[in-house]
Formats: sequence, C-alpha cells, structure tokens
Amino acid sequence: MKILLIIPAYNEEKNILQTVKNIQETNQKLDYIVINDGSSDGTKQKLIENNLNHINLIHNLGIGGAVQTGYKYAYENNYDIAVQFDGDGQHDINCVSKICEPILEGQVDMCIGTRYLDKSSSEFQSTFMRRLGANIISVFIKICCRKKITDPTSGFRAVNRKVIKEFAENYPTEYPEPESTVSLLVNGYKVQEVPVSMKEREGGESSITRKFWKPADYMIKVVLAIMIDSISFRKRGGKR
Amino acid sequence: MQISLKIALIIIMVFYLLCILGAVKKKNMRIGYLIFWIITGVILMIALLIPNLVENVSNLLGFGMPINMIFSIAIFVILYLIFDLTTLISKEQNQNILLIQEISILKKRLNDLEKKEENSNDQ
Repeated sequence: MKILLIIPAYNEEKNILQTVKNIQETNQKLDYIVINDGSSDGTKQKLIENNLNHINLIHNLGIGGAVQTGYKYAYENNYDIAVQFDGDGQHDINCVSKICEPILEGQVDMCIGTRYLDKSSSEFQSTFMRRLGANIISVFIKICCRKKITDPTSGFRAVNRKVIKEFAENYPTEYPEPESTVSLLVNGYKVQEVPVSMKEREGGESSITRKFWKPADYMIKVVLAIMIDSISFRKRGGKR
Repeated sequence: MQISLKIALIIIMVFYLLCILGAVKKKNMRIGYLIFWIITGVILMIALLIPNLVENVSNLLGFGMPINMIFSIAIFVILYLIFDLTTLISKEQNQNILLIQEISILKKRLNDLEKKEENSNDQ
C-alpha cells in the first residue's frame, strides 16, 4: 500500500520544514509532496534548499487548486491512499495511521479527521464562532445528503484510490472541504469520521481564517454551494 | 424626436460602427461576439433611421411609452450578455487552473529527471 501525504503550503516558510521533519521522524516509509501554492515569501527557496519533494505552482490557485494538484500527482504515481495534511503544523502526524485505518480495511472511501467528535482527544477545539459555523454547515449537509459530518471544514482527510481518481478529474476549488465531501456523499461514496487531535497553528497565516474574517459571507456562500452541489453533482448518477 | 437629438444619436452610432470595424480589422475579438455587436448595431441603426418605427412597434406590443420598450429590451439583452460572460469566465478559470496544475506537475517531473541525470553523470 503506497500512501502519499499531500501538503498544501501557502506562505509557510516558518512551518514547512518542521512539518516535513516531523513526518520523516515519525514514519520513514510515508511519502509526501508539498504543493507550494505560489507563495510570495521564501517557501520556494526553503523547499529547494532542503531538497524536499515538492511541486511549485506557477501561479497562486487557492487551497482547492493546490490540493487537487496533489491528487493528480497521487493518481499519476499510482498511490493507493492520499492524505491531505496541512503544512502549518496544525495536524498531528501520529493520527495519520488512525485516519488511514478504515480505508485500509476497505470499509470507507474517505475518512475525515475531526476535532469535535471526542472532546478529550483534541487540545485545540478552535473558537466558538468556528464551531458554530461548522455546526451550521453540518446541518445543511445532513439535510442534503442524509449524513452527519461533524467537522466539514477539516482539511485532514484520507481517501482511497477510487476517490483519488475522482478528485484528480473533478475537485471543487472554491470551498473545497465541504463541497468535496458533498460531491462524494451524493454519489454514494462512503465517508467516515474519526476523532483526531489538532494543535494551534505554530505560525504563519491560515487560508481558511482569512475567509473567516467575513464569517457571515463565507457561511451563506458555503450553504448555498452545498445545496447547489447536492443537485449538480448528483446528475452524474450513482456510484461508479 | 428633435432633429438635433437625432443627429447626435447618428454621430454616436457612426462612432459605434467604427469601433466594431476596428475590432474586425484588429482580429482581437472572437467572431461570435463580433456577430452579436454587428447585429445590435444594425438593429439600432434601423430603429434610428426609419421614422416612427419605435413608436409603432411599442404601440403594437402595448407598451405605454416607446422609451419603456427600449429600456426593457436593453436590460434583457444586457442581462443575457452578462450571464453569457460569467459562463465564459468560469470556463476560462477552469481552463487556467488545469493549465497551471499540469504545467507545474510537468515542471516538477522535468526537474526530477534533470537531477537524476546530473547524479548519474557525476558517478
């Protein structure tokens, strides 16, 4: 089983080296690919200097476009499992095996690492506003897809080969986390959540909190996007 | 319509047609959009040059005032055009994303190959 960690990085020069070091120290066998999303700081130089496996996007695409590049890379290089892993030190490398497990057992197509399932396991529960936002999105996903996803904005997720192919061809790039979850659910893929611990960011700037500066705006658009997606993605008909 | 207003409108129309002609010559606009602008220009020219055409048509269709008909038609045409443009922009954006991703992946593969070659040359 070949597993690839997809690490999107936008202006993460302070964090990226430590993140990759953590990965290599914990598990030598894990492959990783850093997707540098056209960073304007020294991320690119850092990646080249330290000879990290990376792709430099020639222009900034946003988190969705960057992650999709990772899925394309995973598909072309015949990986069985792809894990989305943030470059800012927020996700715990020790939890990777935990979210890969249900996929290795063949039970599910995508496994999301969630902060909210088990309160004790995660030291970082994030702010009240963010939890509220996640709950609202969660309710709408439940309405549209009949499946409860407690942490729909979590960027810590593992997918199997079938979903890698699906995402390489077709990945919603505007509100990637909730939208991609909906796109899988309406097409009959199995999605499961496991509790993971998440840390506070070690530095740099999050790509989602930048959007969360305008929480109401973001929420309305995500909710509408979910409802539109649950119709437009379904058209392609059932599980392939 | 007053004759001075009519002359002013005709001058604007001539300018508009010159713009279209310029676009045709420079070949910097897609044919589909050029056809749209040419047809619009022709329709406006006919409406302007045939006396009482606008008034008669608006009476026939039951608009209270000719100006209402003109505004309604203009707004719908503009709405259609904007809709068409947002569709086009979305398509262009998707193509852009695809291009950036594929080029970046290719560049990475090229770099890896070059590195491999350098290493084998050193040995």
